[in-house]
Amino acid sequence: MISIASQFLFFIETLLFISVIFMHLTRKNFTAIFLYAAQALIISIALFYSSLREASLLLLVVTIITFLVKVVIAPYFFFGLIKKHRLQFSASTYLNGPTTLIILALLTAFSYSYFFQPLTSLAPDDGNALLLAMGMMFISIFLIVNRKGVLSQMIGILSLENAIVSFVYIARLETTAGSQLGILFNILIWIIIATVFASMIYRHFGSLDASAMRHLKEE
Amino acid sequence: MNLFLIVAIPISAFIASFLAKKNLRTLGAIAICASFFELLGTFAVVLSVIQNGTYSLNGYLAVDALGAILMMILAVVGMMASWYSVGYLKIEMEKKIVGISRVRQYFILLHLFILAMFFAIMTTSPIFMWIAIEATTLSTAFLISFYNKPSAIEAAWKYLIINSVGLLLGFFGTFLFLYPTVHSEFTGIISWQTLLLNASALDPFIAKTAFVFVLIGFGTKVGLVPMHTWRPDAYSKAPTPISSLLSGVLLNVAFLAILRFKAVVDIAIGQEFSGDLLIFFGLLSIAVAAFSIFGQKNYKRMLAYSSIEHAGIMSLGFGFGGAGTFAALLHMIYHSLAKSIMFFSAGNIFLKYSSTKIKNIKGLLSVLPITSILFIIGFLVITGIPPFGIFITEFSILAAGIQAHPVAVILALSLLALVFVGFLRHISSMMFGENEKPVTNGEDGLWITFPIILLATFLILLSFYIPTAIQLLLRSAAISY
Repeated sequence: MISIASQFLFFIETLLFISVIFMHLTRKNFTAIFLYAAQALIISIALFYSSLREASLLLLVVTIITFLVKVVIAPYFFFGLIKKHRLQFSASTYLNGPTTLIILALLTAFSYSYFFQPLTSLAPDDGNALLLAMGMMFISIFLIVNRKGVLSQMIGILSLENAIVSFVYIARLETTAGSQLGILFNILIWIIIATVFASMIYRHFGSLDASAMRHLKEE
Repeated sequence: MNLFLIVAIPISAFIASFLAKKNLRTLGAIAICASFFELLGTFAVVLSVIQNGTYSLNGYLAVDALGAILMMILAVVGMMASWYSVGYLKIEMEKKIVGISRVRQYFILLHLFILAMFFAIMTTSPIFMWIAIEATTLSTAFLISFYNKPSAIEAAWKYLIINSVGLLLGFFGTFLFLYPTVHSEFTGIISWQTLLLNASALDPFIAKTAFVFVLIGFGTKVGLVPMHTWRPDAYSKAPTPISSLLSGVLLNVAFLAILRFKAVVDIAIGQEFSGDLLIFFGLLSIAVAAFSIFGQKNYKRMLAYSSIEHAGIMSLGFGFGGAGTFAALLHMIYHSLAKSIMFFSAGNIFLKYSSTKIKNIKGLLSVLPITSILFIIGFLVITGIPPFGIFITEFSILAAGIQAHPVAVILALSLLALVFVGFLRHISSMMFGENEKPVTNGEDGLWITFPIILLATFLILLSFYIPTAIQLLLRSAAISY
């Protein structure tokens, strides 16, 4: 019989997985940011539960900082970009809708394939959730590759990071609070730098469409 | 204490540059002084490592033989890059290419970049090493977009995205390596030592998966094919002192991460798996670089592809193991020095001709005689011409693999010949002939020629005589990895 904790973890991972699928389907930048914020909120709730279970004040601090960086600061920066450059819709994708869906299905099947089954030994009770986290990783990478919009690429990278964090959480591979804080600090700096770059790209290319950047090819 | 000082110096230099007057002389003096003290601190650490095997501070920072070698490379190339930067940026300011605000931003980021690399070498924690290597991406992104041109912004964005994805995959691989240690109820900061102690408990499949992710992740930073695509763009757009640090130092730091994980995976499943992967990616990198060098139109991109080629050669050496490892480590030293010579010379050429296109550079020998000779020395060293050091290391690497991997060795040898022909073709076209646009003859000053002369002298001396201390470090590092 599957324990309630395992069912809960699988439910959480399913929500995260669905959020990245919808990131592929949405055409609006606003929705993509909202989905990212929702994804980050789910991660924060899971970390909060973990800090209560461990009765660790340091983990609680990590949870609060995670919430601030991913749920508050990152969406704030991204909404700022949308407002500043009046970006209603995200840039188009390289592949059309049906092909994208087929690839999403294939990536999910690949993560559940025989090839990755041995990974479930990391958390035998939560094997399905673990493989779903792998699927989320692949689908996030595909989001970065398939989207032409700079903002979507940024969200794809942060979603990949969330997928890894969820995998680490399910496999119970979390390390010390100190190293988690270091990672969060890196993410915060990354968000700031990527946002500054996005503004620079808009200033130089008049759009946040990565396919508009062709100067290197022409040289 | 010395390790603390080495970390404190770039932090102090960063703060001082931030607070200092907007004046090139002050910013340059801070950079040169900081790099000089970093060099002194590094020598003190290296001496301790030679005497005691390792040098550590509270278990959080530690340097072994390999770390000592990399710290020496970083300190030497870092000092020369700081020195060269002063002269290089002075000329760019005179030409109104950049303003003083941008120059200040350059030095602030340079100190952060050097700090991140020192920290990556010294930290005992794999997670903190990942953080430090990711910090190098963040500090250099603005240095690549330094000239604020559309092509530079594009190169920097490409660099940021590709490296961020790569490093996240490396991050995932790092966590997979942690599982036996975490599951053994270990508390505290997980160090490389604890990973090695728990390596035999790694499940073979997870060990293989983790190493593949680590190789892809940190291999992106090394620039191994097919994760190399950011390199030619970033190197050609960044100011040349930064390109020299990216090629001569950061490449080695990222290799350090791969080697540390290789030591763990080798204990878990034997050397064959990691060795075969390194040989495959090494050979692929040499092949792609060789053909790209041959058909190259831009001399800075040519140097970037040369770095990919040399990353491939090192990868082959580590993959072959044994004497190959020793030779690959020595190759790291020679490559860093030779590539710095070539990038600094390329900087002088760019300052004179204002172009990075090979077809626009003619009559270099008469226009920039000293720089030309230094560029030719760099070319001879980098393409492995005897009697220079890289000839010995390439020969030793190939000799180490000839018995077990004869096909790989023969292929590598043929590709190295193609690299030589490609380089010769481009360099001879740059050295001779008449330039279409008039260019004033003569070097642009001592600040941008003397560091290259010093590096070239050091490299030539090191080709014929390797001090016993360096030999000891190389031997000790080769045994451990």
